[in-house]
Amino acid sequence: MAVEFKKIEGDSIQYIALVIILAVVTGAGFYAYVLDHEIGGLNGLSNRVPWGIVNAGIPYFIGLSAGSLIVSALAGVFNIKKYKVFSRIAAYMAAAWIIAAILSIALDIGKLYHFMNAVKYFNPTSIFSWNAFLYSSYFVICSIYLLVQFEEMERATRFMAGLAVFWAVLVHSGTGAIYSFMYSKELYHSALTPPMFIVCAITSGLGLLLATLYFTFKFTNRELDPSLIRGLGLIFAGLMMVLGYFLAVEGLEKGYIPGLHKAVQFVFLNPGTGVFWSFWLLVVFGIAIPTIIILYPKTGYDLRWISVAGILHAALVFAERFYLIIPGQVFPEEYLPGYELESLHTLEGYVVSYTPTIFEWLQIIGLIAMVYLIFVVGVKLFALIPERAVEEVVEE
Amino acid sequence: MMSRRKFLILTGAVAAGTILPTQISAKTQFVEAAEEIEAKRRWGMAVDVAKCTECMEELIAKTGNEKVKPPCVVACDKENNVPEFKEKRFDPQWMRIAKLKLEKPVNAKEFYIPLLCNHCEYPPCVQVCLTKASFKRPDGIVEIDMHRCIGCRYCMIACPYGARSFNFLDPREGLEEINPKVQMRTEGVVEKCTFCVHRVDEAIAKGEEPVPACVEACHKFGKGALVFGNVKDPNSEIAKILRENMPVQLRANLGTDPHVFYLKLGGE
Repeated sequence: MAVEFKKIEGDSIQYIALVIILAVVTGAGFYAYVLDHEIGGLNGLSNRVPWGIVNAGIPYFIGLSAGSLIVSALAGVFNIKKYKVFSRIAAYMAAAWIIAAILSIALDIGKLYHFMNAVKYFNPTSIFSWNAFLYSSYFVICSIYLLVQFEEMERATRFMAGLAVFWAVLVHSGTGAIYSFMYSKELYHSALTPPMFIVCAITSGLGLLLATLYFTFKFTNRELDPSLIRGLGLIFAGLMMVLGYFLAVEGLEKGYIPGLHKAVQFVFLNPGTGVFWSFWLLVVFGIAIPTIIILYPKTGYDLRWISVAGILHAALVFAERFYLIIPGQVFPEEYLPGYELESLHTLEGYVVSYTPTIFEWLQIIGLIAMVYLIFVVGVKLFALIPERAVEEVVEE
Repeated sequence: MMSRRKFLILTGAVAAGTILPTQISAKTQFVEAAEEIEAKRRWGMAVDVAKCTECMEELIAKTGNEKVKPPCVVACDKENNVPEFKEKRFDPQWMRIAKLKLEKPVNAKEFYIPLLCNHCEYPPCVQVCLTKASFKRPDGIVEIDMHRCIGCRYCMIACPYGARSFNFLDPREGLEEINPKVQMRTEGVVEKCTFCVHRVDEAIAKGEEPVPACVEACHKFGKGALVFGNVKDPNSEIAKILRENMPVQLRANLGTDPHVFYLKLGGE
């Protein structure tokens, strides 16, 4: 093949500074976790909202991983040679994101030293239990896929690409099902969530990958052809519209049920809460504006604008996770339909508020920094980025 | 040569080694098989809402405190080492009282009901638990193995009745005294009502009728609104109550088959 992958030198001041900054932010994230657990109660959680943004990190990182991997495997599965230039970088990022996802679980659970119980004891009726198996096997598949690419094993790469895509869809549908199969919460329960997760994974993974590609090629002074990015950009924009469609169908269906009118009003029309903003910011800045940027010819071919669209979307998919996880918890359940119920001794029956604290944000930001630390170190250690990425690669 | 002392210690150890394990296994032979228990016993609770409301109304009038903890809740907290924290969002509560009001009419009468773990026949918490830390015993009691719980809180999300609390803080910080008969929990695990499983097991071993702490307190200091018993025993009080009334289960539409039954929601 004509694609030449090459390590970077990685001895410039800027490179070392970047590594140090990322390492410090990563460290700060883990330190926030330690503080939260040593002192206790530094998070915004409660017995009514036991799952907050650290938990939202799990589907978010898995989404980025699955999306990245699906993009990577595009080249392998459909034999699109021109995307082969991105396949290594995307597969490597996929492996890094899944580490962040597994660490997000580790940071979220209350008893870290019981963590291995999740591997030791298997409950076939628990979706999360299945996922514990899926996540670890997914990481192994990612690694093997990357390895066969390094070894230039053509047939093995195609096979592993197929397996990786299949596994990514399985893993991420499973992650969606963790939430959406919860029949006890009407705002969680939806069969649309798993497919929406797949779409969202591809868009967020792709969006962030586009930005990562742009900055990587820029800082390593390598050539990146905008027309090569264009194809990926169009997939990105198209799937963002599909995501918007899914969100609309789901919201309208919930709004159609009289029993849910109050809840739906609270989620979509009550600007006093983070839930409202997570949804509408996602729709406007996470879907509408990035889609327009990609489709508008003046910005759609400009790598800088594409990067902006990618980062905007990927960042706001985190708001999508918030919108998915939080409303079902903060809005009270009806224990006896038709009756108003207020608990005298707990927060049951009340709309509770959940505002993530700085200690929770730091854990999420720390994990993101960790992934980029793994990436920045990775491009120095492994031949991940191609010498140049231009359209003509196809012909050769 | 072996000294006499050494010889005695050695033979003693061998004897203990052979006898003790057989003793343990001999003991387990007396425990009933799961199928046997399942056929014989299924614990449940009936709540007379009229009596409960009466008790709460009197208590609130007497103390002037709208959030007063009635005898059942106080007894539960004390019996089960349920800590008390100032910050309500972290405060675990196995049993709590809720005020209930029909949405329709103006000035609708307010009723009071206790909320606790419903010990469902098909418990969603057991269904979702990653490690099988939450499990249902053959006699219907849903319990948590604190050594297995990883504190992921999936069960809290799955529980339709908000019955579970997470230990954000070490429970010992919120306790004045500790009842040694009930297992202590640590920070980072989930806990909930056990139907006073320790009392149930003790009573069964002695051949008596088990009485959970809340039920005991309700009859001693309250109006006797709570009845606990074996719904599979046709002669038990609870079986009689369930036969003769029209009990309501919370969120019965989910199919979890909760085993806390509410009666006389509209008063006598």
